Amino acid sequence: MRKDLTKVRNIGISAHIDSGKTTLTERILFYTQRIHAIHEVRGKDGVGATMDSMALEKERGITIQSAATYCNWQGHDINIIDTPGHVDFTIEVERALRVLDGAVLILCSVGGVQSQSITVNRQMSRYKVPRIAFINKCDRTGANPYRVTQQIRDKLGLNAVMLQLPIGLENDLEGVIDLVSMKAVYFDGDQGETIRLEEIPAHMQAEVDEKREELLDAVSMFSDELMEVIIEEQTPSEELVREAIRRGTLSLELAPVIIGSAYKNKGIQPLLDAVNAYLPCPTDVENTALDLDDNEKEVQVSNDADDPLVALAFKLEDGRYGQLTYIRTYQGTLKKGDTIINSRTGKKVKIGRLVRMHADEMEEIEEAGSGDILALFGVDCASGDTFCGSGINWSMSSMHVPAPVISLAIKPKDNKTQANVSKALNRFGKEDPTFKSFVDHETNETIISGMGELHLEVYIERMKREYNAEVEVGAPRVAYRETVTKRAEFNYTHKKQTGGSGQFGRVGGYLEPLEEGEYEFEDKIVGGVIPREFIPSCDKGFRKCLQKGKLTGSPITGIRVVINDGSSHAVDSSDVAFQLAAIGAFNEGYAKAGPVIMEPIMKVAVEGPSEFQGAVMGSLNQRRGVIVGTFEEGNYTVVEAEMPLAEMFGYSTTLRSLTQGKAEFTMELSTYKKVPKSVADELIKAFEEEKKNK
Amino acid sequence: MGYEPLVKQNPLRVLKIGTENAREMGLVMARPGLGKTALLVQIALDSILRGNRVIHVSIGESIDKTRCRYDDILRSILQEYSVSQPHELIEMVQHHRMIMTFKESIFSRAKLEERLNDLIMQNIFTPNCLVVDGFDFESVNRESLADLKDLANMMSMQLWFSAVTHRDDTRKSASGVPAPCHEVDDLFDTVILLKPEGSNIRLDIVRNNGRANGSGVCLDLDPSTMMIKRS
Repeated sequence: MRKDLTKVRNIGISAHIDSGKTTLTERILFYTQRIHAIHEVRGKDGVGATMDSMALEKERGITIQSAATYCNWQGHDINIIDTPGHVDFTIEVERALRVLDGAVLILCSVGGVQSQSITVNRQMSRYKVPRIAFINKCDRTGANPYRVTQQIRDKLGLNAVMLQLPIGLENDLEGVIDLVSMKAVYFDGDQGETIRLEEIPAHMQAEVDEKREELLDAVSMFSDELMEVIIEEQTPSEELVREAIRRGTLSLELAPVIIGSAYKNKGIQPLLDAVNAYLPCPTDVENTALDLDDNEKEVQVSNDADDPLVALAFKLEDGRYGQLTYIRTYQGTLKKGDTIINSRTGKKVKIGRLVRMHADEMEEIEEAGSGDILALFGVDCASGDTFCGSGINWSMSSMHVPAPVISLAIKPKDNKTQANVSKALNRFGKEDPTFKSFVDHETNETIISGMGELHLEVYIERMKREYNAEVEVGAPRVAYRETVTKRAEFNYTHKKQTGGSGQFGRVGGYLEPLEEGEYEFEDKIVGGVIPREFIPSCDKGFRKCLQKGKLTGSPITGIRVVINDGSSHAVDSSDVAFQLAAIGAFNEGYAKAGPVIMEPIMKVAVEGPSEFQGAVMGSLNQRRGVIVGTFEEGNYTVVEAEMPLAEMFGYSTTLRSLTQGKAEFTMELSTYKKVPKSVADELIKAFEEEKKNK
Repeated sequence: MGYEPLVKQNPLRVLKIGTENAREMGLVMARPGLGKTALLVQIALDSILRGNRVIHVSIGESIDKTRCRYDDILRSILQEYSVSQPHELIEMVQHHRMIMTFKESIFSRAKLEERLNDLIMQNIFTPNCLVVDGFDFESVNRESLADLKDLANMMSMQLWFSAVTHRDDTRKSASGVPAPCHEVDDLFDTVILLKPEGSNIRLDIVRNNGRANGSGVCLDLDPSTMMIKRS
């Protein structure tokens, strides 16, 4: 039987750290009867939440990898991707968003819209993901879903509309009032599994009427029919209101707000209803692929199960049973035993086992239609690869991958672990495009680089746990860069004409700062003073120089090299001679071009109670930061600053002790800036010493 | 610092800003959308170019939005005047400006004083000029405004405010300062009204550093760039 695509939901759950994503997912799985007991994230039973399958996740109480899981609610198949909340792992969030049709944005009713929610929201906007907001933790002291709804409007710029009102708040949270059906909803039973519908409590009637009016006002824009009914002062039907909300949500012009408390088992079932009612099914969303045979022209995927297959591998996992590849199908049908083509490598792959994932348990299936999320076994590919059926060669559009900003040198504890380390690094590199590793041939050290301290720490920890590979870790290093600040001329002759075949080449020109881009090479040679065939040799020579700057050995970026003069020798000029001449010329020019060291500057946001604002600003100021501004609301403050990454190592510990653990911070790469002279001198000195010691 | 030409060319020189130290409190008034913030930002930038440090207090606006206002005006300045090292100028502005945003209800002298002391005591930022955008004059009494002026004097800071006027509120002080500031206008040393005139926005200088404006030079805001220019 063909699956009815209108009853499929691929949704993501994402939010700020500790807003309760995993707790919520756990409840959803329980109510949809996928699991039969609820384990808390930091539960006393030591089992840990079902979605946090990695040992490390269970220990730290944070979700690192997004696991995909599946459940069924009121006849709808829901695929859920649990996405990580920490900013170091945003590539996971972005990748998950690529394959989602809709999302639930969880916000804490006390903390409200925090910096990570803003980042996640921005990413969702980039991928045009319709979303509904769930204001969680309404049982906590200080809960205020009204304030949070206002923040969604102000800070996220979404047209947030409350579909529910809380009955009581904080400790007195009893249930919610559904403003669409105009009923009070209570959650009975030990785990809130029994729903009791009642009339709206009399003392809340006035407030309910007011909020209902607001709701109708906001959603009537999306349905002429509803507008008419309202103008005629009749009571619109539930279906009519739901239809309007759905339309608004799909057009990204409305963000319905649901409230509850996952921990207290309140408000989850209505959230599932909302997912079914308001979030898009695969055919509601337009997805485009790039046709590799037609100059990467954009083509729309059809969602039709009869068309050739198009599927995206969005996540790899090395499980107990070999490599597991999570994929999302966009059109066509995937059958066990089928042969599909990886459009990046052109390799044919046979599907051995096809499974539906539920955290780390799985269920084997025979075939899957379009719009589904599944996993394949034993397929060799990297994450982000597209698989196609015969006849087409498409690629789902490439994803935005940021460059790493921090690196660490690692050394295996002994020879035995060496093999395991390489195996692990190979795996991680495939799983996570922001994680890179290479061997520095000068020092023979293995260098890993990524998006932040925690990011790398997690991988080191995983090496130990999953690959039994313990490594010694060097101090974290910032990914510095070098660039030039002014134009400088060069004119260099490379000559070696003693014995044997000689080498001769002269290269003249200049180098100058390049505002945008990393490197540009321009050939302005006239009259063939450097023969045509040796121009690429010059370019090659220059490129070699870019890999290691003279100041600190960091890569050189933002530079334009122009050659306009030179000379050659009929016999002694060669490819090698001109490469060496170019290297000499570059070194000559570079020294004169005012080279400087650039460092990554992070946009840092520290949030916490206002009483610590002074201390927080002091700590940022000490770390060469520029405080951009502060935001205060009630007793809650955000300090925004631009900080050199080099100064942020260990900041989480400092912040914790300064604020009794009540403040937290997030950071992301903002730009590269010139390091101050004193710091530059130190870096250069350290580099010189390192060179000497070799 | 090499920005003297920029300072000298600034049409704002018509105002006697910066000629005397401290004891200056200024006010920019207009109906919504005429460019109060743009004018405040230019006053702040002028102060920064003269080597001062400015805190921009924004009530009910986000940090990012406020920052954008500065970026826009800076871009216009860089387009209009030639500056040899634009990056250095942008960076200098960043280091000499701090943005403080508050939710409407909680802005008061006590709060501000506490925040400023935090900054000054730890030697993080010592402002010479405070620009307050979005201050609610409707619900403020004379006393608390005088209190703020007192604080500015104590810390030897210039203080600039913006206030929103309304078309249908015709109350005025004797010197022509409209509501909602008509009862407190004597606290201000400089008062500028923004008025639409044809396709331009005219700066009506009601009071220029304690005196009536006698220079005879008129200033406009260019409605496309929001930059001040001589008319």
